[in-house]
Amino acid sequence: MAMGTALRCVYANFPKTLSLLPRAAQRPAYWLAWKPCVPRSFATASRLSSALKFTDKHEWVRVEGGTGIVGISNFAQEALGDVVYCGLPEVGTKLKKMDEFGALESVKAASELYSPLTGEVTEINTALADNPGLVNKSCYKDGWLIKMTLDNPSELEELLDEDAYEKYIKSIED
Amino acid sequence: MTLPRSAVRVVNLGQIPYGRALQVQQHYVRQHLDSLTCPHDQRPNTLLLCEHRPVYTVGIRQAPYPSEEEERLKGLGADFFRTRRGGLITFHGPGQLVCYPILSLGCFKKSVRWYVCELERTVINLCSRFGIKASTSPDTGVWVGDNKICAIGIHCGRYITSHGLALNCNTDLTWFEHVVPCGIVGKGVTTLSRELEKEVSVSETTQPFLEAFAEQFNCTLSFQETEGQKE
Repeated sequence: MAMGTALRCVYANFPKTLSLLPRAAQRPAYWLAWKPCVPRSFATASRLSSALKFTDKHEWVRVEGGTGIVGISNFAQEALGDVVYCGLPEVGTKLKKMDEFGALESVKAASELYSPLTGEVTEINTALADNPGLVNKSCYKDGWLIKMTLDNPSELEELLDEDAYEKYIKSIED
Repeated sequence: MTLPRSAVRVVNLGQIPYGRALQVQQHYVRQHLDSLTCPHDQRPNTLLLCEHRPVYTVGIRQAPYPSEEEERLKGLGADFFRTRRGGLITFHGPGQLVCYPILSLGCFKKSVRWYVCELERTVINLCSRFGIKASTSPDTGVWVGDNKICAIGIHCGRYITSHGLALNCNTDLTWFEHVVPCGIVGKGVTTLSRELEKEVSVSETTQPFLEAFAEQFNCTLSFQETEGQKE
């Protein structure tokens, strides 16, 4: 959870820290997601960028090498509580944007997951079978849920960038 | 500033087969989905109350309950259903107050963890009205000591809840002996009747339960006649 909090602080400060990041090979893996040597804002990130985009249902997607990696946000994992089971689709499942693709169980509650994009599931995170708590401990990195193709890359433009998502969750929290 | 309280209508389905109750829940869930663009004070929040004939149900974690287990339990004379709720195996039967709140969490708080905690607190509140000291534990549900008096298992999609809780009033607890209730080994089950050493029925539990719910969720309850079985 502490890491999740640190991550949210990083989001708020990210544009300022972009230029300060060293190009060292040794850095936590989640930093790699922002490719700090690419000097462009999130709002104009092309699909080659691995910036995080969010849905209003608190899934995130990151594009790496033409593949979308999907997970749930820190806000979502906190609202769920400790995840004890991840019900994920089979590889090969075809999803349309906003289709239900699985469910996470926590505190005897099964919460549906919604696909941020249209595409086909190419991989699921099998580590979650034995370690579902990764969704809480590392929601942006080791707790990823599925990988999928991007059949309609323009859908990425419809998603929220990090700033917009931060504003959105503040509005929910009232 | 006093915030307006959410309105929840209560529909008492009485004794109803489990499968039929699933259909009724889906009807009310669809009502919510159809009204997602309405302001929160117009959402059709509904509290379903009912009692089932003997049935074992399991949640999305299906692996511990293969078809052999299903057949074994049906052989005891109970129904068996696989559902999309959280939680492992539980039993519903006569003498158990079953409540399915079909709520839009947007009218309350958009957190499943909060919602389940409020359900637990509602039941603890209800128990205290009967002079029973109940509590929570690391295992979701409501306990009197090491015995579970109320099971909880819910589903949430687009912040709309379904499934809910099952409070033992004067349930025949021998049905629980055939399973590991909620998958928790080493703990037991109990009822309001057993704790008070006198018969406490579902019908005399209903009103205090509703009062506890309205208090805990800070909502106003309205009552309507049982609707005709839609679809």
